[in-house]
Formats: sequence, structure tokens, C-alpha cells
Amino acid sequence: MDYLVIANSVPMWIAAGLGVGLVLFQSFLFTKKSLAAGKKIGLSDQQMKSAMKSSLITSLGPTMVILTALLVLIVNVGSPTAWMRLSFIGSVMFEMMAAGFGTEAVGVTLGVDEVTKVAFANALWTMALGSIGWTLVAVLTADKMDKAQKKLTKGDAGMIKVISAAALIGAFGGLLPPHLLSWNLNTVSAISGAVIMGIMMIVSKRYSDKTWLKEWALAIALFGGMFVAVIV
Amino acid sequence: MQRQEIDQYYAESYIPGIIKWGKITSWLAVFISFGPALVMWLVFKTLPPVSAIVAGFVSIASAVGVIWIVEPISYFPIVGVPGTYMAFISGNISNLRIPCATVAQKVAEVEAGTSEGNVIATLGMAISVISNIVVLTIGIILGTTILNQLPSQILTALNYLLPALFGALFVQFSFAKPKLAPFGLGLGVLLTLGVRSGMLPFWITTFGTVAGSVFIGVMMYNMSKKNLEKKHE
Repeated sequence: MDYLVIANSVPMWIAAGLGVGLVLFQSFLFTKKSLAAGKKIGLSDQQMKSAMKSSLITSLGPTMVILTALLVLIVNVGSPTAWMRLSFIGSVMFEMMAAGFGTEAVGVTLGVDEVTKVAFANALWTMALGSIGWTLVAVLTADKMDKAQKKLTKGDAGMIKVISAAALIGAFGGLLPPHLLSWNLNTVSAISGAVIMGIMMIVSKRYSDKTWLKEWALAIALFGGMFVAVIV
Repeated sequence: MQRQEIDQYYAESYIPGIIKWGKITSWLAVFISFGPALVMWLVFKTLPPVSAIVAGFVSIASAVGVIWIVEPISYFPIVGVPGTYMAFISGNISNLRIPCATVAQKVAEVEAGTSEGNVIATLGMAISVISNIVVLTIGIILGTTILNQLPSQILTALNYLLPALFGALFVQFSFAKPKLAPFGLGLGVLLTLGVRSGMLPFWITTFGTVAGSVFIGVMMYNMSKKNLEKKHE
């Protein structure tokens, strides 16, 4: 039997569905808890509603990118596993790398050799073993990190805010240069996205009563940056 | 509610529930990860030799093992306790979860690192998880046949979304800390060049820029605090 027949079989859909279902369950649960807590600590319905709306708008661009990755993954590991892996831990790059390592271990090169059932099974093991590292570290440290942060900052609320803001600048200060320094259309897109966002920030500050400007700013910068790269 | 009451409610009523359920769902996620591999074994009677499983694990662990530790630490100050539990079972952190969390904070006009900020970030992330799954599910149902008929220009164009996203986000956060931003980007450029030349390991870029920016940011904060105290004296 071809491995893709197995890869797209009902038992696989059930196994994948459990993973997707768990992530959805957690999100609904945390949404419920956060809405209740938000009300208690004085966040208005309007604030929470527009926060959720803006997140939905912002998620569309990145999700499109993940959708294209889905195509690559479906061809190699079948629909259910692709669906699970991209809703669950990891990222596109990681999944392809893990699948590749898994099949290599039994002497099969993805995209070159014929994928055997054993090679496919080993790809599944490698993807699972490779991804649980993140979850394990996160679950073992999350509550302790909170205490460590409080200790380090000695409860100085201003300091915690500075650390969050600085970590954001650091995270994207690190993620941006590989694109900036590639000297191709990625560079164009990165700079255009940055410039458009700068304009959006100034405009939305000027018209601060227009909430939609803030909600759409990032989405406009995203697709704007992409558009400039395409027409250049 | 007063500031103190808000933080107390956050720390004593909200966070314990999040930690309890965060732990339960994360441990379940660890087991459910093995679902497809177990189906292959138990239903389709295909189990690779243990040596192959170990070899696959060793390869992937040597490639990303450091990131397992570096990412949860680097991103914790941004996403907080609830965000850590969510981000590390749903993945796609820098390209989807953090952008959505920070846009939500901005629109709701709350600050990152505060109790309100963390609650709003959690809402933002949760919505991004749901929206991502809905779109992927539609993609799976439409199937490869329809998706593959999309003109290749569209697929190429989508590749430019990610650099635009990173550029836009960096500018957004620079507005909040304009003095720190040049240091963050400069450090990122230096480390990227170091990695390219083969002198530095690849995982250092994000971790190094986060650690460096936090260090410089805290120094700036302490200096301005001291100056303020001096003025008061």
C-alpha cells in the first residue's frame, strides 16, 4: 500500500483531530478566562472587542503564508498530519526539516527517493520528538519564569514594562536583519513594510479617535510591503 | 479598582487558573504529539527500528535543541505566563502569535508587561489560534487540487509578507522606545553577519538581540530613574 493512502486514512485524521482539538480547546478556555478577568480588572467590552477584532485582521496575512506551507507539507506527509503540524507547535521550516531528518535516518531522501511506510513512520516520530522540546521547556518553566522576573525586578512595575518593550525590539531586531541583508526583493519588502508602518503610526496618532486605523495598520503595512516588492 | 487590587486579582485569581489549565493542556499536547506515529504503529503495524528513531531524534535535537530552551526564555517577557502556555503548543510565535498579541494591546491601549496588557495579549493570541486553524481547515478541505491552481505569482508574492511583517513590527515597537531601537537593530545586524560568516551559531541572533536589548533597556531605565531622583533631591 502506498504510504500516502495510509497518511490520508481515517485513523490519521482522528489522531490529527485530537491535536487540533486540544489547541482549540485551550484557546477557547483562555479566552473565556481572560474575558472574565478583563471585566473584573476594569477593561471595557469595547477594549476587549476591538482587541479581538484587530487580532483577527492581523492574523490573516501571516496565516496566508502558513497556508502556502500547507501545500508543501501535504504533498510530503499527507493532509491530516500537515493540518495537525501547522496548528500545533513548530513552524513550517521546522516541520520540513524534521520530516527530512526522519526519512534520512532510514536512508530515504524526501523528494528524491520513493518514501516507504517505515520512512514515513520515522518522519512522524522525528516531528513529534523534535517538537515536544518546546512544550516541555515551556510547561516546566512558565510559572517559575514569572517568579524569577518578579525577583529580578523587585516588583518594579516600570522595569517590567521596560523589559517587555526591550524584548520586543530585540526579538524583531534579530528577525529583521536576515531579510534586510539579503539584498533581494525581501529587502524591498522589509523596508517598504517598515516605511508604510511608520506612516500608519503617525497617521493613527494624528487621528487617534479612529480605532479602525489602529486595527488595520499592520495588515496594511504587510500587504503594502508585499505589493511594493511585487511591482518593483 | 485600584492598581494594587487589579494586580492582586491578576496574580491570585486569574494566573493560578491559567497555570493549572496551561499545565494540563501542555502535558496533553506532549502525548497527543505522538498520535500519528502511534497510529502508524498500532493500526498500520509499521514501527521503524529504534535505532532509526534515535537517529532522527539526534539529528533534529542537534539542529533545534538549543532553540527549545532559548525561545521560551526570550519570548517570556513579551507573552507572559498565559502566552507561554499558548505559544508553545500552537507554534508560529514570531510570525503570528506575537504580532496579534501586540496589535491587540495597542488597539486596547494597554501596556505590555502590565496585568491588563497580559489579559489582552492572551485574547489576541487566542483569536489568532482560532483564525489560523479555521483558515488551515478550509485549506485542507479545498485540498491541494484547488490550491495548486492558484497562479504561481500569488504564491511567490506571499513569500514577501514575512519580511514586510518583521519590518513593520520593528518600526511599531521602535515608536515606543526610540532610543533603544537603533541598538536593537544594530545588534541584530552584527549578530546576523557573525552567523553568516560562520563565526557564531545560528541560534544566537534572536537570543542575543533580546538579551542585549533588555540589558541596554534596563540600563537606560536605571539611569533615567537616578537622574529623576537627583532632580528631586
